[in-house]
Parts: sequence; C-alpha cells; structure tokens
Amino acid sequence: MKILDNIEIVDLALKYKDYLIFGDLHLGFEESLVNQGILVPYSQIDQVIKSVNKIIEKAKPKIIIINGDLKDEFGRISQQEWRDSLKFIDSLKEKYKLIFIKGNHDTILEPIARKRDIEIKEKLDIDSISIIHGDAIVKNLKKTVIISHEHPAISFKERPDERFKCFLKGKYKSHNLIVMPSFNPLIEGSDITKEKFLSPYLKDLRNFEIFIVEDKVYNFGKLKEIK
Amino acid sequence: MSLTFIKNQNSDEEIFEILNPIVRTWFKNKFKTFSEPQKYAIIPIHKKENILVSAPTGSGKTLTAFTSIINELINLSEENKLENRVYVVYISPLKALSNDIEINLIKPLQEMASQSNKSFGIRIGVRTGDTKAADKQKMLRATPHIIITTPESLALMLSSIKFSELLKDVQYCIVDEIHSLAENKRGTHLSLSLERLGKMSEDMIRIGLSATVAPLEEIAQFLVGSKRNCKIADVQHLKKYDLKVISPVSDLINITQYQLHHKLYSLLDELLEQHKTTLIFTNTRAGTERVVHHLKEKFPKKYIENIAAHHGSLSKKHRLDVEQKLREGKLKAVVCSTSLELGIDIGFIDLVICLGSPKSVARFVQRVGRSGHALHDTVKGRLIVLDRDDLVECSVLLKSAIEKKIDKIHIPKNCLDVLAQQIFGMAIQRIWNVDNLFKLIKQAYPYRDLQRKDFDEIIKYLAGEYSSLENRYIYAKIWYDQKTKNIGKRGKLARVLYMTNIGTIPDETSVKVKIGEQVIGSIDEVFLERLKRGDIFVLGGSTYQFLFSRGTVAQVKAVPEKNPTVPSWFSEMLPLSFDLANDIQKFRRYVEDLFVNKKTKEEIIKFINEYLYLDNNSANAIYEYFNEQYLYSEIPDDRKLLIEFYHDEKNKKYVVFHSLYGRRVNDVLSRAVAYAIAKIQKRDVEIGINDNGFYLSSYQNMQVLRAFELLTGENLEEVMKRAIEKTEVLKRRFRHCAMRALMILRSYKGRVKKVGRQTVSSMILLKAVKAIDNDFSILKEARREVLQDLMDIENAKKVLAEIKSGKVEVKQIHTTLPTPFAFNLVLQGYTDVMKMEDKIEFIRRMHDMVLAKIYQK
Repeated sequence: MKILDNIEIVDLALKYKDYLIFGDLHLGFEESLVNQGILVPYSQIDQVIKSVNKIIEKAKPKIIIINGDLKDEFGRISQQEWRDSLKFIDSLKEKYKLIFIKGNHDTILEPIARKRDIEIKEKLDIDSISIIHGDAIVKNLKKTVIISHEHPAISFKERPDERFKCFLKGKYKSHNLIVMPSFNPLIEGSDITKEKFLSPYLKDLRNFEIFIVEDKVYNFGKLKEIK
Repeated sequence: MSLTFIKNQNSDEEIFEILNPIVRTWFKNKFKTFSEPQKYAIIPIHKKENILVSAPTGSGKTLTAFTSIINELINLSEENKLENRVYVVYISPLKALSNDIEINLIKPLQEMASQSNKSFGIRIGVRTGDTKAADKQKMLRATPHIIITTPESLALMLSSIKFSELLKDVQYCIVDEIHSLAENKRGTHLSLSLERLGKMSEDMIRIGLSATVAPLEEIAQFLVGSKRNCKIADVQHLKKYDLKVISPVSDLINITQYQLHHKLYSLLDELLEQHKTTLIFTNTRAGTERVVHHLKEKFPKKYIENIAAHHGSLSKKHRLDVEQKLREGKLKAVVCSTSLELGIDIGFIDLVICLGSPKSVARFVQRVGRSGHALHDTVKGRLIVLDRDDLVECSVLLKSAIEKKIDKIHIPKNCLDVLAQQIFGMAIQRIWNVDNLFKLIKQAYPYRDLQRKDFDEIIKYLAGEYSSLENRYIYAKIWYDQKTKNIGKRGKLARVLYMTNIGTIPDETSVKVKIGEQVIGSIDEVFLERLKRGDIFVLGGSTYQFLFSRGTVAQVKAVPEKNPTVPSWFSEMLPLSFDLANDIQKFRRYVEDLFVNKKTKEEIIKFINEYLYLDNNSANAIYEYFNEQYLYSEIPDDRKLLIEFYHDEKNKKYVVFHSLYGRRVNDVLSRAVAYAIAKIQKRDVEIGINDNGFYLSSYQNMQVLRAFELLTGENLEEVMKRAIEKTEVLKRRFRHCAMRALMILRSYKGRVKKVGRQTVSSMILLKAVKAIDNDFSILKEARREVLQDLMDIENAKKVLAEIKSGKVEVKQIHTTLPTPFAFNLVLQGYTDVMKMEDKIEFIRRMHDMVLAKIYQK
C-alpha cells in the first residue's frame, strides 16, 4: 500500500524507487536482557535476517537504508553478536549498496561501518525526501521526512493489552512526516493512544493517519477517529 | 510419622517440678499459675518433642515456647556448659518484633537474673535484613545463644560458610505465626530451610506457634515435614466472643448510595465514640484511604491526628509510627487493609470492625483476636455490611465463627521456583550429591510428592543447560557433574548474586503517578495497561484523569468533582473461602426448602434468625432478598446450579452462572467455559467473576451449555492450561516466578534495579522463555501457581465431578432482567476477556468498525 506519493509500505519497511528503508533493528537484545539482570537467553538475529530477506525478495531494491539504531543501547557487544552483526551486514553488502543513518543508540555502528567500509549519514536526501533517525532536529529538510526512533504502536479498547505496530503519517511544520515502527520483533513499541513521545518531530498526533501491518496493510484513518 | 492432639493439661505442680528453682520462683512471683497454652506445651518442649501450639494472640504463646528453653539454658549456664553457638532459632514473618521479644524473652531473663543475683551469660541476637554488617561480624565471635530471625535471613545464614558452622547443633527451632507462612511461598521456602537446618542439627525440635487455623494436622505436618512426629496443642478457642453483624440501615435496597454512605459514617462514628481504641479492616488499600478520608472530612473536629491509615503501600516509617502510637494509646482508630492481621503487639484494642466480609472464618477470628488483650477478655468484633450479598455472606461467616467451624487453609505444593532458589543456596554452602539432595527435599511437607523429573529439570536449569554452551558462563548458577552426580556453586559472583537476590515476596512493578513533577502515588503496571487516555480512576481517596505515560511514570490531572470511569484495581480482593461458600449454599437450600414447603413469612424469619444468630432487622432483610429471588425465579444452592440467560437493551447476551463457590473456583470455571465457547465460535468472550458466580457475555449467541458439557474433571487441567496462556495474570506470575528462581535478578553486577525500572515487558519475557521450551520448569511453575494457588483448580474439578455424577443438578432459566442474586455480579462489570479471535481477525474487525464509522459521516 502507498503511504504517500511513491512511497510504499512493504511489511515493516518502506520502499521508494530502488531504495528500501528499514527502521530500528536493535540487534543485541539478548545482551540487553542480561545487562538488566534478565537471564533469559533470546537471540532474535536469525529471525531478523529471515524477515529482512523476505522483504527484500518482495521489494527487489538496489539500495538498502538502515534508519538508525542497528544495535541496542546496552553494554559492549559480545563476540557472538559481533559475528552475527557482521554476518548480517555482509549478507546484504554482497548484493546491495548499504547506507546507515546514525541513530542515538549506535555505539558500535561506526566500528562496524569502518570495518566494512559503509557510508554513515546523519541525513539522507533522495529527491524530495529526507531520511533521518528522528531523535534530534536536523536542518535543511526536504518536503517529506521519514523518521524511525519512536517505535509507534497502537492498542484498542477491546484488547487493551495487545499492541499493534504501526506507521504514522502526518505533518511536521510544512513537511509531510512518516514515522516507521521498530523492525525488531521483540520491541512492541510505544502505545500512541497513551504514551507521550520525546521526538521533537512529534507533538500532537491526533491528526496523524495510522497504518497497521498484519497480513496486509490496514489504513485506520486518523488517530482522533479511532478513540 | 504420627500426629497427636494433647488431651490432658499438665498441672502447675508437674510443670514446676521440671523447672530450675530460679525459673520456678520467677514464674510463681509473676503469674502464680500457668496459662492454658503453657499447661499443654511446656512439658512436651522440655521432653524435646516437636509441638504445634495453636492459641489466640495475647494468650502467652511466645512465653510458652520460651519457658522450657530458658529453663534449659539457665541449667546449662549454671553447670558452666553454655558454649559459643546457637541453641535456639526463632523465626518470625515480621521484622519488627523487638517489642514482643523484649516482653517475652529479654525481660523475663533480666528479672530472673536480678532476682537470683546471678548472671547467666545467655546472649540474644536479632538478625534480619536490617542488621548491620558489623553486628553480623560480632555474632561470629560472641554468638547469640538465641537468634531471632526471619525466613529470608535464616536462608542467608544457612548459606554463609562461617555462620552455618554455628548452626550445627541447634536444639530448638521456633516458627512463630506459622499459619501466615504456610499459605504462601515464604512458607514453602522456610520449609526447605528447616530441612537444611535439621540436617545440620539432628537433635533439634520444632515448635510452631499459630493463631486460629484449620486443619491443625496439616499445619503440624508443614512444621515437622513428612516423616517426623508432632504433638498438637489446640487452645484456639479460649477467648469469649461478642460478635455481631450490623447494617447501617434497616433496608439495604431502597436507599441511595449517598444515604448509605452517610449512615455508614454515622455508624462508624458512633462505634468509635463508644470504644477506647478501634481497629477497622477494609480489605483493600483503596478502601483504607477512603475511610480515613471520609471520617476526617465528616467529623473534622473529632478525627484529625487521632486516626491513621495502615497498609502495605505506605512507607515503612509511617507504618512503624502508627504501630508505636497505637501501643502508646494515642489513637482512637486505625484503619487498615489486611496489614494488621499479623500478631505484632499493637496495644489495647477494644473493638475490631470489619467493613465488608473478611471472606474466611479463620481470617475473621484472627482479626477479632486482636481485641481484648488479656487471655480471658471478651473479643469484640462487628461485621458491617453494605449490600445484601454481603449480609448473607457475613451472617453465615458469623455463624461459623461462633460455632468454631474454621475453613481450611491452602498450602502451595511443589513450587519449582522456590526449589531452584533453595538448591542454589545449598550449592553455595557446600557440594551436594543430587540423590541425597532429592531425599532431603522430599522430607519437607510441601515437596513430599515432588517428582524426580521436575527436580532434575531444576538442576538442569540451575546448571544453565537451557543456554548455549558458549554463553553458559552467563546463565549457569551451579555446576553439575553427571558422573559423580554432585552439584556445587559456580563462578565468583554466585554468592553475591544469591545474597542480594533471595526472597519470595514479589516486587510488583509499579508505576509512579504524577501531576507534573509532583508524585501522587503509584499504581500497578498491569492497571496502567488497562487505562486509556481520559479514563478517571481513584487513587488515595481522590479521583484523577489519566493523561499519558512515559516509561514508568503516568501523568494525570486531578478531577475532584468527577466519578471514576474504570473500576478500582480488583486483584487485591480477598477470595471467599470454599468451605464458607459451601455453607452459604447450604443455607440457601434450607431457606428455599421452607419456601417450597409454603412456610409462612414468620416461620422463615424465625428460622433465619435462629440459624444465623441475627437480629430481626437483618433476618428480615435476608428474607426479603430470598423471597424476591424465589418469586422471580428460583434459589440456586449447593445441589442446584442455576444458569441464567438474558440480554440487555443493546442485545448483548449475558449468561450468568450462580456458582457460589468463591472467586478462586469461579476463576477456573468461567475461563474454562469461556475458552470452550471462544474455541467453538472464534470470538472474544467477556468474563465477569465474583465470589457468588460468574457471567459470560458477547454480542453473539453463545453456545454455553454445549461448551459447559464439554468440560470434565479429567480435561479441565488441559483446557485451563490453554485458557490462561494469553492472560495478563500468567505473564505477571511468570515474572514473579522467574524472580524467585533468580532468572530475573533485582540486583546484578552491583546494580540494583528499582521496581518498575524493568523496561522489558512481561510479554517479551514470556516469548523468550517459550522459545527455550514451552514447558520450561519456571513457566510450568507459573502455570501451577496461577491454577492452584491464585485459582483453585482442585475444587473446580470436584464441582464438575459433582455435576457429572448428578449430585448437583444444572438448571437453566431465561429472564428479561437479571434476577436479584445476579444483580451485584452483573453490575460490577467484566474482569477479563477470553481472547480467541486471532490477531489478524481482530485487526480486520477493528478495521471494519473504523470504516463503518467513517462512512456514516
């Protein structure tokens, strides 16, 4: 489904021309669990690689953009994760051009990017689109802005304890704004019906349109209509 | 193993005979004669027999336990045989019991010393979580002969290499308030510590002290384990009772909430005026806050500093302060949730009020036992009822209390999380052979039926076998050698990790409630999950509107003039005991029989009056209530399960089960039926549960009877395992179990996590653990805890069996309005939704609804 002009939702990613954009991957969740004293081993990397490949097959891009937060914020990276992350990047690098957008959690992005000679950008402009992570204000934005960072999700009165990841489309000043959900299957996201967002790009969400991705994309109209 | 009730008391002479002259003289000067518990227990303790003493608060239980022990220690002291080691371990669930120990141990010893001009050199030490490191060090050099401790600190001592040396030849172990420990995992944990202690001190006897509880045989077994003998001294019913049910108004139905509220506080005021110090139980924290708030508001001149609230969410300092003021007699009334049920000395109380049903006879008797301090004082208790169901319930409860029919306690069995924690503690202490370990564990009563398979799973879990070999250094807590079958501690951090994380009382993940930067209080994480923006809820007696949340903070605004739109948190509601529920059902049947046999109103009221020890007003109110139900349809009872069908004006269908079995059983039955319906019809079903029954509702027709017929005592376990799989309660309990099993650590690598700082949602945790194994032992334990401890699947099976056998007849009725007996249940609203529609179908339906709304415009 098209979310705007020629920008299309493909599962949890966005496609524009030959570009395929992924939101926060947050690899290394296992490590972050351990650092919080939660000794439940859980490696989601295989799952992430699998779903990334599935989307690539569907979208057939030439260039892949990772929009920030490749790695989760906690602690140093374990040998295993380091290997896994590299494996993941190598698997993409062989066939596609890779571009990283710098996120606020990316302590290891630079060493990895350096090691594999990948471009890191604060902002990537393609035609009339600017892709940024969304944690801080960036100048000289194009007409349409795509951010991730906030992990939007929504719940319904009928099932208050279940969250559905969603894309948001609205306005930031005179720009069109698209917010991507988290790609990581373990991050359910923040509930837009009750949580407040920190991003300087998101103030009042009532007029934002909501797109939920399950077996297909469902346009739920504006947030104020749902409540 | 044998359990024997002591039939005959010993005479004063017989007891004096065995006492050291110093103790004898002190006793004669002080009391002249022995109290009843003492007449039962002093000699068996002297003879070193295990004993359970069950007697009311204020009957001298503590001194009873200590008399023979002090006697023995003084004998040793006089013979110069007192060694530098622990002779007595005294365990209490409460940390703050210095006052009790002062009166019953320290002072008697001091008086005996000064009276005989001797110094015995008997040392007494307190070791709890609050004890400073320096004081613990001191205990190694000058070891207390009597050590006062809590279950948690005992476990720590047992795992300390140096301290456990001093516990090698303990003679006596006293477990105080054992009734309050036996019913939860703190007690399960203790039962294993007692076995560990017993293994080190083979001559040790166990002395249990308990308030009113039933069955005493089971508590005795809990005390001594599955193999040893135990004497039982039953002196539960010593005090005289003055107990009554009162209603603030003569007619509970034709009255507005406002009038009822007004009358209630006038009644409370009247009762408070007539007594010196009153203790009020409200069952919930919210209720406690509300009552204090309204008393102050309505009688601002009378009640200001002289009334206080006491409940678990208040700070420790505040609670200790209230207890101190109580002892000093400075308070006119204290309002508490359930927090003052346990036996810390709180001074003179001459009236106990229960606002709303205490839900179990044992609990009621324990509560009212807080009044009338001297042994033969009269205990004064009042049950104030606010609706007709409450009236019936409290009246039957009163009857049971007066007739001394105490309902049975539930003791958790085979708790695998607690087992994991204890085995880890044991591995820290020394190397163990697993076969011997298994034998030792099975001696503890809660583990007497432990399966070897489950035990082996826990060893595997602790050895980290659920993680990859490469990462095992992170996850393994012990090493396990398959050849020698030995286990031992693993890693340098093991001891620190154990010391800083043990315990069985779950941290509730709570969320701070703030207005701007000002903290108002806290609410449960799960409660927050249910809140939507704009919802209004009650906290600390005031109403607030929920605005938004971020992390562990919920922002609200005060809306004092508005009514709440979401019901208060119900998880802290006490469940009605199964035994009491059965008695109420029986009473229903007796009354219905009278109606069926066309007895006159006078005759029926006379019966109610006599059967329930009620005044005419209350008997009349019950008569009217039952009469309405009877005239409208039928009265459900212990031999007739009524299922009532109706729909509301929006054509929403309701099916009400008049299953008066208590909410623990109804939780099981309702979810099992809802699961079966949802499975057949693939739709979410709403469930409403209370102690008197449950309802299911949906906009579709529900094939309730077909679903109900599918359930049997045999398949209930499997159905319920599936039915709870997606519930909040399982996620929450899993988190608790994982913390007890030290799979989730409060303190790790020197960092202590504050409650609520855990950012990982319960849903993710559950997902992660299921990825390891859907029957992972800790997850299995969480399911067991939900089904057996929180709910009551065993009794639910019995109910189903009785229905299948025809002992209980199932009867359907169709009504246009809910019957009087169904009214409170339906009014209270739903408590949960059984989810069956899968995620995609749910989203499709929501989407269709949104589209329909858009097209309407």
